[in-house]
Amino acid sequence: MLKLHTLKIIKQEPVAPGYQRLTLARGIAAQAGQFVQVRASETFDPFLRRPISVHDAAEDRLVLLYRTVGRGTALLAAKKAGETLDLLGPLGSSFPLTDRAQAVVVAGGIGAAPLYYLLRTLKRAGKQVSFFYGARTEAELLLREEYRALATNYSEATDDGSAGSRALVTDLAAPAIASLDATVYACGPSPMLKEVARLADYYGRSCFVSLEAQLACGVGACLGCVVPVRGQEKYRRVCVDGPVFAAGEVFFC
Amino acid sequence: MPASGCFGYGEEYAPFFDLSRLGAVVVKGTTAEPCAGNPPPRLAETTGGMLNAIGLQNPGAAAAREKIVALQQWSVPVIVNVSGHSAAQYRAVIEVLDDLSALAAYEINISCPNVKAGGMAFGTDPAVVAALVRELRCATKKPLIIKLSPNVTDVTAIARAAAEGGADALSLINTLLGMAIDIERRRPVLANLTGGLSGPAIKPVALRMVWQVTSAVEIPVIGMGGITNARDAIEFLMAGASAVAIGAANFTNPLVCPETVEGIRSYLAENGFASVREIVGLAKKEWQK
Repeated sequence: MLKLHTLKIIKQEPVAPGYQRLTLARGIAAQAGQFVQVRASETFDPFLRRPISVHDAAEDRLVLLYRTVGRGTALLAAKKAGETLDLLGPLGSSFPLTDRAQAVVVAGGIGAAPLYYLLRTLKRAGKQVSFFYGARTEAELLLREEYRALATNYSEATDDGSAGSRALVTDLAAPAIASLDATVYACGPSPMLKEVARLADYYGRSCFVSLEAQLACGVGACLGCVVPVRGQEKYRRVCVDGPVFAAGEVFFC
Repeated sequence: MPASGCFGYGEEYAPFFDLSRLGAVVVKGTTAEPCAGNPPPRLAETTGGMLNAIGLQNPGAAAAREKIVALQQWSVPVIVNVSGHSAAQYRAVIEVLDDLSALAAYEINISCPNVKAGGMAFGTDPAVVAALVRELRCATKKPLIIKLSPNVTDVTAIARAAAEGGADALSLINTLLGMAIDIERRRPVLANLTGGLSGPAIKPVALRMVWQVTSAVEIPVIGMGGITNARDAIEFLMAGASAVAIGAANFTNPLVCPETVEGIRSYLAENGFASVREIVGLAKKEWQK
Protein backbone atom coordinates (compact mmCIF):
# COMPACT_ATOMS: atom_id res chain seq x y z
CA MET A 1 0.00 0.00 0.00
CA LEU A 2 1.58 3.23 -1.09
CA LYS A 3 1.88 5.63 1.75
CA LEU A 4 3.66 8.58 3.31
CA HIS A 5 6.20 7.49 5.90
CA THR A 6 8.40 9.27 8.39
CA LEU A 7 11.29 6.89 8.95
CA LYS A 8 14.18 7.13 11.35
CA ILE A 9 17.67 7.15 9.84
CA ILE A 10 19.84 4.42 11.37
CA LYS A 11 22.96 4.90 9.29
CA GLN A 12 24.26 7.33 6.66
CA GLU A 13 27.59 6.18 5.20
CA PRO A 14 29.72 7.22 2.26
CA VAL A 15 30.57 4.14 0.18
CA ALA A 16 32.70 5.98 -2.41
CA PRO A 17 33.33 9.66 -3.18
CA GLY A 18 29.92 11.06 -4.16
CA TYR A 19 27.97 7.92 -3.22
CA GLN A 20 26.02 7.36 -0.01
CA ARG A 21 24.23 4.45 1.59
CA LEU A 22 21.31 5.38 3.82
CA THR A 23 19.69 2.85 6.15
CA LEU A 24 16.22 3.50 7.54
CA ALA A 25 14.44 1.78 10.40
CA ARG A 26 11.51 0.09 8.61
CA GLY A 27 11.07 -1.89 5.39
CA ILE A 28 7.69 -0.51 4.14
CA ALA A 29 7.07 -3.82 2.30
CA ALA A 30 9.05 -2.72 -0.77
CA GLN A 31 9.75 -5.21 -3.57
CA ALA A 32 12.95 -5.37 -5.63
CA GLY A 33 12.77 -2.76 -8.40
CA GLN A 34 10.44 -0.36 -6.60
CA PHE A 35 11.45 3.13 -5.53
CA VAL A 36 10.61 5.80 -2.99
CA GLN A 37 10.08 9.56 -3.36
CA VAL A 38 12.24 11.25 -0.75
CA ARG A 39 11.64 14.75 0.53
CA ALA A 40 15.13 16.20 0.87
CA SER A 41 13.98 19.40 2.56
CA GLU A 42 11.07 20.32 4.82
CA THR A 43 10.62 23.46 2.73
CA PHE A 44 9.68 23.48 -0.96
CA ASP A 45 13.28 24.22 -1.94
CA PRO A 46 14.17 22.14 -3.90
CA PHE A 47 10.57 21.90 -5.04
CA LEU A 48 10.15 18.23 -5.93
CA ARG A 49 10.81 14.97 -4.12
CA ARG A 50 13.79 12.89 -5.22
CA PRO A 51 13.07 9.42 -6.62
CA ILE A 52 15.53 6.86 -5.22
CA SER A 53 15.45 3.14 -5.90
CA VAL A 54 15.23 0.64 -3.08
CA HIS A 55 18.71 -0.86 -2.66
CA ASP A 56 17.62 -3.37 -0.06
CA ALA A 57 14.68 -3.96 2.23
CA ALA A 58 13.61 -6.22 5.07
CA GLU A 59 10.91 -5.94 7.71
CA ASP A 60 13.15 -3.80 9.91
CA ARG A 61 15.12 -1.83 7.35
CA LEU A 62 15.03 0.07 4.09
CA VAL A 63 18.34 0.81 2.40
CA LEU A 64 18.90 3.46 -0.27
CA LEU A 65 22.11 3.73 -2.30
CA TYR A 66 22.40 7.01 -4.17
CA ARG A 67 24.74 9.36 -5.95
CA THR A 68 24.91 12.97 -4.81
CA VAL A 69 24.25 14.80 -8.06
CA GLY A 70 22.72 18.11 -7.01
CA ARG A 71 21.31 20.13 -4.16
CA GLY A 72 18.50 17.69 -3.29
CA THR A 73 20.76 14.69 -2.88
CA ALA A 74 23.37 16.86 -1.11
CA LEU A 75 20.70 17.81 1.47
CA LEU A 76 19.81 14.15 1.79
CA ALA A 77 23.48 13.23 2.29
CA ALA A 78 23.72 15.81 5.08
CA LYS A 79 21.04 14.05 7.13
CA LYS A 80 22.44 12.13 10.07
CA ALA A 81 21.58 8.99 11.99
CA GLY A 82 18.80 9.72 14.47
CA GLU A 83 17.07 12.23 12.18
CA THR A 84 13.92 11.29 10.29
CA LEU A 85 13.19 11.19 6.58
CA ASP A 86 9.83 11.88 4.90
CA LEU A 87 9.28 9.46 2.06
CA LEU A 88 6.52 8.25 -0.18
CA GLY A 89 6.40 4.62 -1.20
CA PRO A 90 6.90 1.91 -2.14
CA LEU A 91 6.18 3.11 -5.66
CA GLY A 92 6.13 1.53 -9.10
CA SER A 93 6.51 -1.94 -10.52
CA SER A 94 8.99 -4.59 -9.36
CA PHE A 95 11.24 -7.11 -11.11
CA PRO A 96 9.14 -10.22 -11.78
CA LEU A 97 10.56 -13.70 -11.11
CA THR A 98 10.06 -16.23 -13.88
CA ASP A 99 10.14 -20.02 -14.08
CA ARG A 100 13.75 -19.93 -15.39
CA ALA A 101 16.29 -21.34 -12.93
CA GLN A 102 18.97 -18.95 -14.16
CA ALA A 103 19.24 -15.18 -14.30
CA VAL A 104 21.60 -12.77 -16.01
CA VAL A 105 21.75 -9.41 -14.25
CA VAL A 106 23.49 -6.44 -15.88
CA ALA A 107 24.33 -3.27 -13.94
CA GLY A 108 25.73 0.02 -15.23
CA GLY A 109 27.02 2.58 -12.72
CA ILE A 110 24.52 3.66 -10.07
CA GLY A 111 22.00 1.44 -11.93
CA ALA A 112 23.43 -1.27 -9.69
CA ALA A 113 21.52 0.21 -6.75
CA PRO A 114 18.15 -1.58 -7.16
CA LEU A 115 19.84 -4.76 -8.45
CA TYR A 116 21.29 -5.60 -5.03
CA TYR A 117 17.80 -6.28 -3.70
CA LEU A 118 17.04 -8.19 -6.91
CA LEU A 119 20.14 -10.38 -6.43
CA ARG A 120 19.02 -11.13 -2.88
CA THR A 121 15.51 -11.93 -4.08
CA LEU A 122 16.83 -14.21 -6.83
CA LYS A 123 19.20 -15.98 -4.45
CA ARG A 124 16.42 -16.57 -1.95
CA ALA A 125 14.35 -18.07 -4.77
CA GLY A 126 17.22 -20.49 -5.50
CA LYS A 127 18.20 -19.02 -8.88
CA GLN A 128 21.68 -19.27 -10.40
CA VAL A 129 22.71 -15.68 -11.00
CA SER A 130 25.36 -14.33 -13.38
CA PHE A 131 26.00 -10.72 -12.45
CA PHE A 132 27.78 -8.28 -14.76
CA TYR A 133 28.83 -5.05 -13.13
CA GLY A 134 30.01 -2.13 -15.27
CA ALA A 135 31.22 1.33 -14.25
CA ARG A 136 33.47 4.11 -15.52
CA THR A 137 36.25 3.33 -13.04
CA GLU A 138 37.05 1.01 -10.14
CA ALA A 139 35.98 3.69 -7.64
CA GLU A 140 32.44 3.59 -9.04
CA LEU A 141 32.07 -0.17 -8.63
CA LEU A 142 30.26 0.27 -5.34
CA LEU A 143 30.06 -2.37 -2.61
CA ARG A 144 31.80 -4.92 -4.86
CA GLU A 145 32.25 -7.62 -2.24
CA GLU A 146 28.60 -7.43 -1.20
CA TYR A 147 27.44 -7.85 -4.79
CA ARG A 148 29.99 -10.61 -5.41
CA ALA A 149 28.71 -12.55 -2.39
CA LEU A 150 25.19 -12.72 -3.84
CA ALA A 151 26.09 -13.87 -7.35
CA THR A 152 26.88 -17.36 -8.62
CA ASN A 153 29.11 -15.82 -11.27
CA TYR A 154 30.45 -12.29 -10.93
CA SER A 155 32.21 -10.19 -13.59
CA GLU A 156 33.33 -6.58 -13.74
CA ALA A 157 33.93 -4.15 -16.58
CA THR A 158 35.27 -0.61 -16.44
CA ASP A 159 35.68 2.02 -19.14
CA ASP A 160 39.30 2.65 -18.14
CA GLY A 161 40.30 -0.92 -17.25
CA SER A 162 41.02 0.03 -13.61
CA ALA A 163 39.10 -3.09 -12.54
CA GLY A 164 37.83 -6.16 -14.36
CA SER A 165 37.78 -6.09 -18.14
CA ARG A 166 38.31 -2.91 -20.08
CA ALA A 167 35.11 -3.39 -22.02
CA LEU A 168 31.47 -2.47 -22.24
CA VAL A 169 29.52 -4.45 -19.68
CA THR A 170 27.13 -5.48 -22.44
CA ASP A 171 30.00 -7.11 -24.39
CA LEU A 172 30.93 -8.97 -21.22
CA ALA A 173 27.35 -10.14 -20.67
CA ALA A 174 26.62 -11.05 -24.29
CA PRO A 175 27.98 -14.66 -24.18
CA ALA A 176 25.91 -15.40 -21.05
CA ILE A 177 22.75 -13.97 -22.62
CA ALA A 178 23.51 -16.05 -25.72
CA SER A 179 24.21 -19.35 -23.98
CA LEU A 180 22.16 -19.47 -20.77
CA ASP A 181 18.47 -20.32 -20.59
CA ALA A 182 18.05 -17.32 -18.32
CA THR A 183 15.83 -14.37 -17.60
CA VAL A 184 17.71 -11.12 -18.14
CA TYR A 185 17.47 -8.09 -15.83
CA ALA A 186 19.19 -4.74 -16.29
CA CYS A 187 19.46 -1.25 -14.86
CA GLY A 188 21.83 1.45 -16.03
CA PRO A 189 22.29 4.10 -18.71
CA SER A 190 19.86 4.05 -21.62
CA PRO A 191 22.37 2.91 -24.34
CA MET A 192 23.34 -0.03 -22.11
CA LEU A 193 19.71 -1.01 -21.56
CA LYS A 194 19.02 -0.76 -25.26
CA GLU A 195 21.89 -3.13 -26.06
CA VAL A 196 20.84 -5.61 -23.34
CA ALA A 197 17.30 -5.49 -24.72
CA ARG A 198 18.61 -6.10 -28.24
CA LEU A 199 20.71 -9.09 -27.14
CA ALA A 200 17.89 -10.59 -25.10
CA ASP A 201 15.48 -10.19 -27.99
CA TYR A 202 17.96 -11.74 -30.44
CA TYR A 203 18.52 -14.80 -28.26
CA GLY A 204 14.86 -15.09 -27.24
CA ARG A 205 15.34 -14.38 -23.53
CA SER A 206 12.69 -12.59 -21.52
CA CYS A 207 14.19 -9.34 -20.29
CA PHE A 208 13.20 -6.70 -17.75
CA VAL A 209 14.76 -3.25 -17.56
CA SER A 210 14.44 -0.51 -14.97
CA LEU A 211 14.16 3.00 -16.40
CA GLU A 212 14.94 6.41 -14.99
CA ALA A 213 12.98 9.61 -15.65
CA GLN A 214 12.45 13.06 -14.24
CA LEU A 215 9.44 12.62 -11.96
CA ALA A 216 7.11 15.06 -10.29
CA CYS A 217 4.29 13.28 -8.40
CA GLY A 218 5.51 9.66 -8.44
CA VAL A 219 1.95 8.37 -8.13
CA GLY A 220 0.70 8.53 -11.72
CA ALA A 221 -1.20 11.81 -11.55
CA CYS A 222 0.93 14.35 -13.41
CA LEU A 223 1.85 12.31 -16.54
CA GLY A 224 5.24 14.02 -16.58
CA CYS A 225 7.47 10.92 -16.62
CA VAL A 226 6.11 9.03 -19.62
CA VAL A 227 8.15 6.91 -22.04
CA PRO A 228 7.10 5.93 -25.57
CA VAL A 229 5.92 2.30 -25.66
CA ARG A 230 5.02 -0.25 -28.26
CA GLY A 231 1.34 -1.10 -28.25
CA GLN A 232 -1.98 0.65 -28.17
CA GLU A 233 -1.03 3.36 -25.74
CA LYS A 234 1.55 5.76 -27.12
CA TYR A 235 3.11 6.55 -23.74
CA ARG A 236 3.26 4.88 -20.34
CA ARG A 237 4.24 6.34 -16.98
CA VAL A 238 7.63 5.39 -15.52
CA CYS A 239 6.37 6.01 -11.97
CA VAL A 240 3.43 3.58 -11.86
CA ASP A 241 3.59 1.47 -15.04
CA GLY A 242 7.39 1.20 -14.49
CA PRO A 243 10.12 1.77 -13.52
CA VAL A 244 10.50 -1.93 -14.42
CA PHE A 245 9.24 -2.68 -17.93
CA ALA A 246 9.45 -5.73 -20.17
CA ALA A 247 12.34 -4.69 -22.41
CA GLY A 248 10.40 -5.22 -25.63
CA GLU A 249 7.78 -2.76 -24.52
CA VAL A 250 10.14 0.21 -24.23
CA PHE A 251 13.01 -0.62 -26.61
CA PHE A 252 11.89 -1.18 -30.16
CA CYS A 253 12.92 -0.16 -33.64
CA MET B 1 -9.61 22.08 -4.04
CA PRO B 2 -6.80 20.59 -6.09
CA ALA B 3 -6.00 22.36 -9.36
CA SER B 4 -6.62 20.60 -12.65
CA GLY B 5 -3.79 18.47 -13.99
CA CYS B 6 -2.20 18.05 -10.58
CA PHE B 7 -4.60 15.49 -9.15
CA GLY B 8 -5.28 13.10 -12.05
CA TYR B 9 -8.86 11.87 -11.82
CA GLY B 10 -8.66 11.76 -8.02
CA GLU B 11 -7.96 8.04 -7.81
CA GLU B 12 -4.19 8.58 -7.51
CA TYR B 13 -4.63 10.56 -4.26
CA ALA B 14 -7.49 8.55 -2.73
CA PRO B 15 -5.01 6.29 -0.84
CA PHE B 16 -3.71 9.31 1.09
CA PHE B 17 -6.83 10.94 2.52
CA ASP B 18 -10.62 11.01 2.40
CA LEU B 19 -11.40 12.96 -0.77
CA SER B 20 -14.65 14.22 0.75
CA ARG B 21 -12.50 16.61 2.82
CA LEU B 22 -12.00 18.63 -0.37
CA GLY B 23 -14.29 21.41 -1.53
CA ALA B 24 -14.26 19.75 -4.93
CA VAL B 25 -12.06 17.50 -7.04
CA VAL B 26 -10.96 19.26 -10.22
CA VAL B 27 -9.99 16.55 -12.69
CA LYS B 28 -7.52 16.66 -15.51
CA GLY B 29 -7.93 18.63 -18.72
CA THR B 30 -10.27 16.49 -20.81
CA THR B 31 -10.67 16.62 -24.58
CA ALA B 32 -13.44 15.12 -26.71
CA GLU B 33 -11.15 12.43 -28.17
CA PRO B 34 -8.25 10.68 -26.39
CA CYS B 35 -5.03 12.71 -26.55
CA ALA B 36 -1.51 11.15 -26.35
CA GLY B 37 0.18 14.36 -25.23
CA ASN B 38 3.65 15.69 -25.96
CA PRO B 39 6.81 13.59 -26.36
CA PRO B 40 9.10 13.39 -23.30
CA PRO B 41 10.96 14.99 -21.59
CA ARG B 42 7.91 16.79 -20.27
CA LEU B 43 9.25 18.07 -16.96
CA ALA B 44 12.00 20.33 -15.69
CA GLU B 45 12.51 21.34 -12.08
CA THR B 46 13.34 25.02 -11.69
CA THR B 47 14.11 27.33 -8.78
CA GLY B 48 10.96 27.44 -6.67
CA GLY B 49 8.91 25.36 -9.04
CA MET B 50 8.76 23.30 -12.19
CA LEU B 51 8.02 23.46 -15.89
CA ASN B 52 5.65 21.02 -17.52
CA ALA B 53 4.68 20.35 -21.11
CA ILE B 54 2.32 17.40 -20.77
CA GLY B 55 0.29 18.45 -23.79
CA LEU B 56 -3.12 17.54 -22.36
CA GLN B 57 -2.60 13.77 -22.34
CA ASN B 58 -6.00 12.36 -21.35
CA PRO B 59 -8.21 9.38 -22.18
CA GLY B 60 -10.96 11.46 -23.82
CA ALA B 61 -14.43 12.45 -22.61
CA ALA B 62 -16.04 8.99 -22.76
CA ALA B 63 -13.34 7.40 -20.55
CA ALA B 64 -13.30 10.47 -18.28
CA ARG B 65 -17.04 9.98 -17.79
CA GLU B 66 -16.38 6.56 -16.19
CA LYS B 67 -13.74 8.06 -13.90
CA ILE B 68 -16.08 10.86 -12.81
CA VAL B 69 -18.79 8.29 -12.02
CA ALA B 70 -16.23 6.35 -9.95
CA LEU B 71 -15.41 9.52 -7.99
CA GLN B 72 -19.00 9.62 -6.73
CA GLN B 73 -18.09 7.10 -4.01
CA TRP B 74 -16.40 9.95 -2.11
CA SER B 75 -19.47 12.24 -2.28
CA VAL B 76 -17.34 15.17 -3.35
CA PRO B 77 -18.36 17.69 -6.02
CA VAL B 78 -16.47 17.09 -9.25
CA ILE B 79 -15.36 19.84 -11.60
CA VAL B 80 -14.07 18.73 -14.97
CA ASN B 81 -11.51 20.79 -16.84
CA VAL B 82 -12.59 20.99 -20.49
CA SER B 83 -10.00 21.51 -23.22
CA GLY B 84 -10.12 21.73 -26.99
CA HIS B 85 -8.88 23.36 -30.14
CA SER B 86 -12.24 24.72 -31.31
CA ALA B 87 -15.57 25.73 -29.82
CA ALA B 88 -17.08 22.56 -31.28
CA GLN B 89 -14.54 20.41 -29.45
CA TYR B 90 -15.30 22.08 -26.11
CA ARG B 91 -19.01 21.55 -26.79
CA ALA B 92 -18.42 17.90 -27.64
CA VAL B 93 -16.92 17.28 -24.17
CA ILE B 94 -19.90 18.95 -22.52
CA GLU B 95 -22.32 16.84 -24.56
CA VAL B 96 -20.71 13.62 -23.32
CA LEU B 97 -20.72 14.64 -19.65
CA ASP B 98 -23.65 16.99 -19.13
CA ASP B 99 -26.19 14.51 -17.73
CA LEU B 100 -23.87 13.42 -14.87
CA SER B 101 -25.34 14.61 -11.59
CA ALA B 102 -21.94 14.10 -9.91
CA LEU B 103 -20.53 16.79 -12.15
CA ALA B 104 -20.84 20.11 -10.32
CA ALA B 105 -19.32 22.47 -12.88
CA TYR B 106 -17.09 22.84 -15.91
CA GLU B 107 -13.77 24.60 -15.81
CA ILE B 108 -13.15 25.80 -19.35
CA ASN B 109 -9.44 25.71 -20.10
CA ILE B 110 -8.71 28.59 -22.45
CA SER B 111 -5.18 28.87 -21.18
CA CYS B 112 -3.12 25.73 -21.72
CA PRO B 113 0.30 26.91 -22.91
CA ASN B 114 1.34 23.48 -24.20
CA VAL B 115 -0.93 22.79 -27.12
CA LYS B 116 -0.14 24.22 -30.51
CA ALA B 117 -3.57 25.47 -31.57
CA GLY B 118 -6.49 26.44 -29.38
CA GLY B 119 -5.83 26.39 -25.64
CA MET B 120 -4.00 29.58 -24.87
CA ALA B 121 -4.79 31.01 -28.28
CA PHE B 122 -8.39 31.08 -27.09
CA GLY B 123 -7.46 32.79 -23.89
CA THR B 124 -5.60 35.81 -25.19
CA ASP B 125 -8.23 37.60 -27.30
CA PRO B 126 -11.20 39.17 -25.43
CA ALA B 127 -13.58 38.91 -28.39
CA VAL B 128 -12.79 35.23 -28.92
CA VAL B 129 -13.22 34.52 -25.20
CA ALA B 130 -16.61 36.25 -25.06
CA ALA B 131 -17.86 34.38 -28.13
CA LEU B 132 -16.67 31.00 -26.84
CA VAL B 133 -18.25 31.50 -23.41
CA ARG B 134 -21.51 32.66 -25.01
CA GLU B 135 -21.62 29.54 -27.18
CA LEU B 136 -20.86 27.18 -24.26
CA ARG B 137 -23.39 29.04 -22.12
CA CYS B 138 -26.08 27.72 -24.48
CA ALA B 139 -24.71 24.17 -24.28
CA THR B 140 -25.19 23.59 -20.54
CA LYS B 141 -27.07 24.70 -17.45
CA LYS B 142 -24.16 23.74 -15.19
CA PRO B 143 -21.86 26.48 -13.90
CA LEU B 144 -19.08 27.56 -16.25
CA ILE B 145 -15.77 28.50 -14.68
CA ILE B 146 -13.36 30.06 -17.15
CA LYS B 147 -9.68 29.37 -16.45
CA LEU B 148 -7.56 32.33 -17.46
CA SER B 149 -4.02 32.49 -18.77
CA PRO B 150 -1.47 34.77 -17.12
CA ASN B 151 0.34 35.05 -20.45
CA VAL B 152 -1.46 38.25 -21.48
CA THR B 153 -0.78 41.96 -21.15
CA ASP B 154 -4.04 42.78 -19.36
CA VAL B 155 -5.75 39.89 -17.61
CA THR B 156 -8.69 42.09 -16.60
CA ALA B 157 -9.71 42.56 -20.26
CA ILE B 158 -10.01 38.77 -20.67
CA ALA B 159 -11.79 38.48 -17.32
CA ARG B 160 -14.38 41.09 -18.32
CA ALA B 161 -14.94 39.39 -21.67
CA ALA B 162 -15.55 36.03 -19.94
CA ALA B 163 -17.96 37.66 -17.49
CA GLU B 164 -19.83 39.41 -20.29
CA GLY B 165 -20.07 36.12 -22.17
CA GLY B 166 -21.92 34.61 -19.22
CA ALA B 167 -19.23 32.93 -17.11
CA ASP B 168 -20.33 32.00 -13.58
CA ALA B 169 -16.83 32.18 -12.16
CA LEU B 170 -13.18 32.51 -13.14
CA SER B 171 -10.16 30.53 -12.09
CA LEU B 172 -6.69 31.95 -12.27
CA ILE B 173 -3.91 31.59 -12.94
CA ASN B 174 -2.85 28.80 -15.28
CA THR B 175 0.91 28.30 -15.69
CA LEU B 176 3.32 30.94 -16.95
CA LEU B 177 5.08 30.15 -20.20
CA GLY B 178 8.77 29.39 -19.64
CA MET B 179 11.75 27.30 -20.68
CA ALA B 180 14.98 25.71 -19.40
CA ILE B 181 18.25 24.72 -21.06
CA ASP B 182 20.49 21.80 -20.07
CA ILE B 183 24.01 23.25 -20.41
CA GLU B 184 25.68 19.81 -20.39
CA ARG B 185 23.54 18.54 -23.26
CA ARG B 186 23.49 22.08 -24.70
CA ARG B 187 19.84 21.92 -25.61
CA PRO B 188 16.42 22.78 -24.20
CA VAL B 189 15.30 20.42 -21.43
CA LEU B 190 11.73 20.06 -22.67
CA ALA B 191 11.01 18.25 -25.93
CA ASN B 192 8.24 20.81 -26.45
CA LEU B 193 10.84 23.60 -25.99
CA THR B 194 8.53 25.64 -23.77
CA GLY B 195 6.40 24.62 -20.83
CA GLY B 196 4.18 26.00 -18.11
CA LEU B 197 5.83 27.23 -14.92
CA SER B 198 4.10 26.39 -11.65
CA GLY B 199 5.06 26.24 -7.99
CA PRO B 200 5.92 28.86 -5.36
CA ALA B 201 7.87 30.92 -7.91
CA ILE B 202 4.64 32.10 -9.56
CA LYS B 203 2.68 32.97 -6.42
CA PRO B 204 3.30 36.74 -6.41
CA VAL B 205 2.20 36.96 -10.07
CA ALA B 206 -0.92 34.92 -9.38
CA LEU B 207 -1.80 36.95 -6.30
CA ARG B 208 -1.45 40.23 -8.20
CA MET B 209 -3.71 38.94 -10.98
CA VAL B 210 -6.35 37.71 -8.52
CA TRP B 211 -6.31 41.14 -6.89
CA GLN B 212 -6.71 42.87 -10.27
CA VAL B 213 -9.43 40.55 -11.59
CA THR B 214 -11.51 40.62 -8.42
CA SER B 215 -11.38 44.40 -8.65
CA ALA B 216 -12.57 44.32 -12.27
CA VAL B 217 -15.43 41.78 -12.27
CA GLU B 218 -18.29 40.86 -9.94
CA ILE B 219 -18.27 37.08 -10.50
CA PRO B 220 -16.37 34.89 -8.01
CA VAL B 221 -12.74 33.94 -8.58
CA ILE B 222 -10.96 30.72 -7.66
CA GLY B 223 -7.39 31.74 -6.86
CA MET B 224 -4.43 29.49 -7.62
CA GLY B 225 -0.76 29.65 -8.49
CA GLY B 226 2.04 28.54 -6.18
CA ILE B 227 -0.01 27.82 -3.06
CA THR B 228 1.83 25.40 -0.76
CA ASN B 229 0.11 25.93 2.61
CA ALA B 230 -2.73 27.66 4.47
CA ARG B 231 -0.85 30.97 4.76
CA ASP B 232 -0.54 31.15 0.98
CA ALA B 233 -4.20 30.23 0.56
CA ILE B 234 -5.29 32.93 3.02
CA GLU B 235 -3.31 35.50 1.02
CA PHE B 236 -5.38 34.61 -2.06
CA LEU B 237 -8.63 34.82 -0.08
CA MET B 238 -7.64 38.21 1.33
CA ALA B 239 -6.75 39.37 -2.20
CA GLY B 240 -10.35 38.66 -3.20
CA ALA B 241 -10.54 35.00 -4.23
CA SER B 242 -13.72 33.23 -3.07
CA ALA B 243 -12.03 29.83 -3.15
CA VAL B 244 -8.52 28.50 -3.73
CA ALA B 245 -6.93 25.62 -5.57
CA ILE B 246 -3.57 23.94 -5.07
CA GLY B 247 -1.61 22.56 -8.00
CA ALA B 248 2.00 21.46 -8.13
CA ALA B 249 2.40 21.32 -4.32
CA ASN B 250 0.32 18.11 -4.36
CA PHE B 251 3.32 16.42 -5.99
CA THR B 252 5.62 17.24 -3.10
CA ASN B 253 3.07 16.90 -0.32
CA PRO B 254 0.12 14.63 -1.16
CA LEU B 255 -1.61 15.91 1.99
CA VAL B 256 -1.28 19.60 1.13
CA CYS B 257 -5.00 20.02 0.32
CA PRO B 258 -6.48 18.63 3.57
CA GLU B 259 -3.69 20.32 5.57
CA THR B 260 -4.57 23.64 3.94
CA VAL B 261 -8.28 23.18 4.68
CA GLU B 262 -7.42 22.58 8.35
CA GLY B 263 -4.96 25.47 8.41
CA ILE B 264 -7.54 27.92 7.08
CA ARG B 265 -10.05 26.64 9.64
CA SER B 266 -7.57 27.16 12.49
CA TYR B 267 -6.70 30.67 11.29
CA LEU B 268 -10.38 31.61 11.18
CA ALA B 269 -11.01 30.22 14.66
CA GLU B 270 -7.92 31.81 16.21
CA ASN B 271 -8.76 35.20 14.73
CA GLY B 272 -12.46 35.22 15.57
CA PHE B 273 -13.87 34.88 12.05
CA ALA B 274 -17.17 32.99 11.82
CA SER B 275 -16.81 32.15 8.14
CA VAL B 276 -14.21 32.16 5.41
CA ARG B 277 -16.42 34.73 3.65
CA GLU B 278 -15.31 37.29 6.21
CA ILE B 279 -11.74 37.23 4.94
CA VAL B 280 -12.51 37.25 1.20
CA GLY B 281 -11.11 40.55 -0.09
CA LEU B 282 -10.16 41.65 3.41
CA ALA B 283 -6.75 42.97 2.40
CA LYS B 284 -8.42 45.06 -0.27
CA LYS B 285 -10.80 46.61 2.25
CA GLU B 286 -7.92 47.36 4.62
CA TRP B 287 -5.85 48.86 1.81
CA GLN B 288 -8.70 51.12 0.68
CA LYS B 289 -9.14 52.58 4.18
